[in-house]
This record gives sequence, structure tokens and C-alpha cells, in this order.
Amino acid sequence: MNAWHSPNLVTESPRIIDRQLVHRCLAGDSIAERALYDAHVDRVYRLMYRMAGDGDLAADFTQETFIRAFDRLEQFRGDSSLATWLHTIAVSVALNGMRKVQRIRGRTDNIDDTPGLSVQPSGFTADLKARLHSAVDALSEKLRPVFLMHDVEGYTHHEIAGTLGIPVGTSKARLFDARAKLRLALAAFAGDHIA
Amino acid sequence: MNDDRLDELLSRGTRDYNEPGAAPREEMWARISAARAAAAAPAAVVIPLRTRRTRVWAGAAVAAGLILAAGIAIGRRLEHSPAPQTSLAKSPGIVRRDSADSIGSQTNTPATGSPTTVVSGTKLTAPDDEIVRTLRAQTRNTGRRAEELAQAASTAGDNQSNNLAYHLVVLQHLAGSEAMITAFRSSAQRGDVDREIAAWSRELLSTTRMLETSNAAAQDPTMRRLLEDLDLVIAQITQYVTRGTNNPDDLDLIEQSISKRSVIAKLRGTISGRNQPAGT
Repeated sequence: MNAWHSPNLVTESPRIIDRQLVHRCLAGDSIAERALYDAHVDRVYRLMYRMAGDGDLAADFTQETFIRAFDRLEQFRGDSSLATWLHTIAVSVALNGMRKVQRIRGRTDNIDDTPGLSVQPSGFTADLKARLHSAVDALSEKLRPVFLMHDVEGYTHHEIAGTLGIPVGTSKARLFDARAKLRLALAAFAGDHIA
Repeated sequence: MNDDRLDELLSRGTRDYNEPGAAPREEMWARISAARAAAAAPAAVVIPLRTRRTRVWAGAAVAAGLILAAGIAIGRRLEHSPAPQTSLAKSPGIVRRDSADSIGSQTNTPATGSPTTVVSGTKLTAPDDEIVRTLRAQTRNTGRRAEELAQAASTAGDNQSNNLAYHLVVLQHLAGSEAMITAFRSSAQRGDVDREIAAWSRELLSTTRMLETSNAAAQDPTMRRLLEDLDLVIAQITQYVTRGTNNPDDLDLIEQSISKRSVIAKLRGTISGRNQPAGT
């Protein structure tokens, strides 16, 4: 078999690059540390922003993610990709951070508490969008990351499963549940208008 | 309304859910660097993630302080390590004082068989000092980083995150310069200059000159003077190494420049925050 067609080569190359980068970071190579940061910061920040909805919080979560990652880099075994490993830390940081924020803000996780609507929209209005965004805000801790990662940020179920440490089937099931809840929340509002 | 229609609505409505802007890469990196440096400091300094300007400066100062401390360690280490095969003639004119800007007492150490390489007439030892290599690596990209940040600031206007990142880079450069000068003085005093130090001085000279022309230096006369003094000293060191004539008078001139201009004291004052850094 030609080396170009070796499935191992195709699938392992990024892992090898990851390991080399990690090895250099562990050896104290500051250029490698910056390269690792540059390679992943944008995607991590995007996800943090989607989860937090606030630039300062997103920056805080992203910083904390990389601080922890550099601190624990020797624990990276290469079983998953470096991106997945970083995202696992990021989601954990974000969920813990958001819990604190929600405690402070006194928010509720119950989607049923989403405020009702008093304005009848005409078309796909800002009101409908606001309603939808509130419904996404109110998704549970298990459903919301899956929905945001898959439907908003375009992660695959494999990536989500690796990041959250769940089976692929569970990721799919959670996405199904999340969409169902959002549909339910929207149906009453949008039904009359769209039908 | 059917599920397909709702799914379409969902897709359209969530596309801009918490829509992120561009990641503030440099600001976050500056804070990450500062927090990591603080965590690595002997007396752990915890910097909250949502740092304010002054806190970032504190972290930056710790980072720079670590390089500074390592520079002092280099000096002591080299002072007490054996001399290479051939020693430079010691300059009788070197001022001996105990202040930071005066070279320490000269030692007459016995010759050893440490590896030497002759480059342009100057005896350069093999780069056997891991600390020097590590510190050089820490400051190797400060010039490029400062240049990028200065360009970003010029296009983005007075951006606080750019300023913070820029100041961190300047601090690291100053601390690296102090460490290099310390390492050079100690090794030249023993009659050898590590080739890593020779390359390091050239990099630092280039960065110093770039910083001298920056807006931050233009706005801060104290910083500009410090950079000018640093320019002179590092240029002398670079010439000393490049010429390779091993002239003790040249070494004496370098010592006089450092001492008369209190370069080391000014560097340490700025790094530790006793002197106000540029642009603050």
C-alpha cells in the first residue's frame, strides 16, 4: 500500500504533530507554547463566547483553559487530539464558571420559566429571535453544550463525544432532546404567525 | 407548524446566538503569561483572571523579575565557575565597587579544560549554560512581538489590550537585557564569552533600537533615556564580542558606561515597578 493511502498515516499525522508540539512545550520552548495557543485559541474562544454570551467571561474562560492546559500538559497522553483535550478543559471551565455567574445573577435553568410573549411578531422578528435565544439560555447543562457545539458551531458528534466524555449516541440523543425543547418553546409563539 | 419548519426557524434564529467577535488574542496571551509567571514565582502570587491593568502589570513584573533573578543567578554561577583554557588579560582600570552597576571582585581562577571555540579572534566557550539558553529563548521574540503590537496599536488606535501586551513585552526585554549584561560581565571577567551571550546581545540590541523608535518611548522620556543607555551598553558589548580583540580597555569602557549611567539600577527599578514604565 502506498504511504499516501495508509489510513494510519492519514489519521495519525495530526496526533504526531500534537505530540511533537506538546513535547516541545514541556521542554520549555516558548515558541511552541505560543504556537499551541495560536492554533487553538480562536476556536476555544468562539465556543466560550457562545456559552457565556459575554466577551469578558469568554476571555476569562479561555485564559483559564490555557493556563490549566499548560499546567497539566504532561497529563496529555495523546489518546485524543490536542484540540479535543483542550475543549474538554474549556467546557469544564465554562460550565463551572457559568454556574457561579448564574448563582450571582439568580437565573433559573428551567425552560418553563422562559418569559411569555406579549407582542405578536410579523415575520422572523427580533422578538422571535429573543425568545429563541432565551430558550437556548434555559437549556440544561447537559443539553446546551451539545446544541451549541453541533448546531451553532458545527462540531461533529465525534468531537462533542470526545470533548464531553460521552458516547456518540448520547451526544445525538442530547441534541435531539435540545431541539425538541426549543421547538416546544417556539411552537406557541411562532405557530400562529408561520402557519 | 411542522417540525421541519421549526427546525428551519431554529437554525436561522440560533446562527447569531451569542455571536462572538474576534478573539482578543494578545490581551489573553499577556494575561496567561503573567498568570503562569506568577504561579511559578517562589511566593505564589494569584492573579484573578479578570485582571485590571495594574494587576497585569504586577504579573508582568513578576515575569520580568523571574528573568532578572535568573540573570543574577547566572552572574553568581559564572563568577564561581572555573575559567576556560585561556583567560583575557584583566583590565586594571575596572572599577571595583559593590553596587549593582559595578563589577564584582575579580577572581583568579585556575585554567581548566572547558571547550572553547575561536570565532573572529574571540574565545567563545561552547554554550554550556542551560540558563543562558533558556533566558535567551524567552527574549528571542520580544522584538518581533513588540513590532507586531506596535503595528496593531497604530491601526487599532489607543487599545488598552495592545498597550498591556506591549508593556509586558517591554518588561521582558528589559529583564532579558539585565540578565544578558550580568551574564556577559561575569563571563568576560573570567576571560570568556559564551557564544550564546554573543548572539543574545545582537538580538537584544536590535530589539532595543526598535523600542527606542516606538511611540511608547516617545511618550515617556524616562523610558527613552533608559533605552538609549541600554543601546549604548549593548552595542559596546556586541562590538566587544564581534571584534574579538579582547582589549581590556574596551571592557573597562563597558563597565564605565554601565556604572556612570546606572543602567543596572535603572533596569531593576523599572522591572520591579519602582520606576514608572513607558506609557503608564
